[in-house]
Formats: sequence, C-alpha cells, structure tokens
Amino acid sequence: MSDEHDDDAQDRRADDPQAQEPQAGGGQQEQDPQDGGAHAEDAPEEPREPAAAQPSGRQRLLAGLWPPRASRAQLTVAVLLFVLGLGLAIQVNTTSDNGGALRGARQEDLVRILTEVDNRTQRLEDEKRGLETQRSELQSSSDQAAEALKQTRQKEQQLGILAGTVTAEGPGITLTITDPHGGVAADSLLDTLQELRAAGAEAIQINDVRVVADTYFTDGADGVLIDGRPVSQPYVFKVIGNPQDLEPALNIPGGVVQTLEKEQATADVVRSQKIVVDALRPLKQPDYARSSSR
Amino acid sequence: MIAVLGLVVGVVVGLVVRPVVPTGVEPYLPIAVVAALDAVFGGLRAMLDGIFDDKVFVVSFLSNVVVAALIVFLGDKLGVGAQLSTGVVVVLGIRIFSNAAAIRRHVFRA
Repeated sequence: MSDEHDDDAQDRRADDPQAQEPQAGGGQQEQDPQDGGAHAEDAPEEPREPAAAQPSGRQRLLAGLWPPRASRAQLTVAVLLFVLGLGLAIQVNTTSDNGGALRGARQEDLVRILTEVDNRTQRLEDEKRGLETQRSELQSSSDQAAEALKQTRQKEQQLGILAGTVTAEGPGITLTITDPHGGVAADSLLDTLQELRAAGAEAIQINDVRVVADTYFTDGADGVLIDGRPVSQPYVFKVIGNPQDLEPALNIPGGVVQTLEKEQATADVVRSQKIVVDALRPLKQPDYARSSSR
Repeated sequence: MIAVLGLVVGVVVGLVVRPVVPTGVEPYLPIAVVAALDAVFGGLRAMLDGIFDDKVFVVSFLSNVVVAALIVFLGDKLGVGAQLSTGVVVVLGIRIFSNAAAIRRHVFRA
C-alpha cells in the first residue's frame, strides 16, 4: 500500500461515521436475525468486491485506533468494553482467589462435593477409630505383658531366695559354733537350724552350703555331713532375718546356745546389718510335678 | 482507541477495586463474560468488514449477555445448569473462533 493510498483511506474514514453508518446499520440489522449472532456470517466475501474502492479491514482498524476520536460509537463501545473488562477482571480475581474453584461452582456441584467430603470424612473417621482401638489394645496388652513380666521377675527373685538359686543379702546374724571335742552332732545342728527358722530366718548358709527346704544333716565318720557334703569346723551360720528376733531365740535359757555349751562347744552370735548369703544351689527342674496354676 | 482504553480501564478498575459480586449473580458472571467476548469479537470483525454500527453492537452485546445468563439460569432451574452452561460456552467459543478467523483474514490477509 502506498502512503497516498493510506492517507486517502484515512481521509475517507474520517468522513465515514456520518456517511456510512446509516447504510451499514441498515444492512447489519437485516442480517442479524438470520445468523442469530452479532454480525454477518457471509461478510468476508462482501468487502472483497469493493475492496478497490473501500479501505481494507486493516486500514479501517488503524483508522479506528489512531488518531483517537471521541465519536459516539467509540464512546459506547468504550463503555461496553469497560463493563467487559470489569467483569473479566472480577471473574479472574474470583477464580484465582483461594477456594475460587468452590466460589464459582454451582449449587449441585457444591452439594456433590460436600457429600464426597462428608463421605471421606466418615471413612477416615472410621479408620481412625479402628486404629485407635487397635492402638489401645496393643498398648494395654503390652502393658499387661510388662506388668506380668515384672511380677514374674519378683516372684523369681523370691522363689530363688527360697530355693537357694540366687544370692541374698540383708540384716541378720552370724553364729559361729566351735566344737573342739566333737560333741556337736547332726541333731544339734538340726536343732539350731530349726530354732533359726522358727525365729524367722529367711536365708541361711552353713559354711559354704546353702540351707534350703530339703537340706539334711547326717553324721559321718569324721564330722557332720550337710546334704552329703562334709563340713569342717567351725560351723559358721550366716542367717538373714530380723537380728532382734534371731539372737534372743538362740540365747534363751535352755536354748541352742546353752545346749551347745553343755556339749563343750562354744556358740558365738554376732549381729550384723549386712549379711551376704552367697552360696548357691543349682536349679533343679522337677521331673513330674507341673504347675497347676495355669 | 477510546474503546481499547475503556477495556484497559475496566480491567485495571476490576483488579484494583476488587468489587464483591452478589452471590445471586456469581454463577452467571463467567458465562456473561464469554458472551460479551463473543459480541466484542463480532464487533471487531464487523468493523474490519466496514459494516460496524454502534447501535447493533450495543444491542448484540447486551442481548448476548442477557440470553447467556438466562440460559444458564433456566438450566439451573431445570437441573441441567452445568451441561447447559457447557453448551453455551462451546457455542460461544465456536463463534469466537470463526470471528477470530475472519479478523485474522482481514488483518494478516491469510
């Protein structure tokens, strides 16, 4: 396109609003009902024939853009485009807002989404409840197991002291029997032991033999045997129990100490706050007896 | 030029002021915007064809918006709002494309 042609077109365009509008409007209004839209469908063909006489579309666009003219058409279009821009901006704002997807959604969608969320919440709630139940079950069972373990340990300790499989320590007395003339026989030692047991002795050791429920005393060729093991003199009883009970029990008139003194032996009782009974017995597994508590 | 300025000012005002849309109108706004876009493309094409008329443009703009909103409203009442608004958007989209094609032919001669 030459410059002259452009100028020419612009000049003509300047006159256009007055000259062309009425006829263009008329044509447009007749075409409108046919295609139901804003503007003619078959328009592209139309301006081709008078293209030589009329300005091309591009020229019209440029003419409309520059120079700015405050014509009625421009102003009305400006107002409408302002409204469009406003709506566009509002809509874009709304959509890009946080939760904009929900704001723009229609009622039935919202109801569906709400139902879905409700269902999901319900499912998760159920799952949570199940897991919590499981957790509390596991916790209580592990608590029970720990408690049972603790009790079992305690019981094992107690039984171990009774059975002589563990060492024991505590307040008690040490009884030393010295018998230079060999007058002390198994029955005297048994009497002494019974006296100590009656006075509440809890763990007893004679020399290096732990005294338990089935301990027995026998007279051997050269001394006393305890549980079949020879014990040499002096006989040292390490006894755990209440010293205030044990000592008087031995010293009462006609008691162990006096009886032993009649046999020409000396009995020496020493109280102590810490007696260690450390002679052990092997644990024996019963062959036939089984616990009936379970 | 003034028309383009109007569009720009509208967008700027919408972004700056952030007006609150009434809840009742909210579902119709997007459809109305698409319908208005269709009218604007139609108007641009008519201008390139040299048959632009501001009265027709105003009427088509307003009627497009109103009819689109009305269809969606009716669809909502009938319980097919989502489908109907999809249909409206599809139809308007097709029209926008064909108008854009015509505009392209004018502007780029291709």
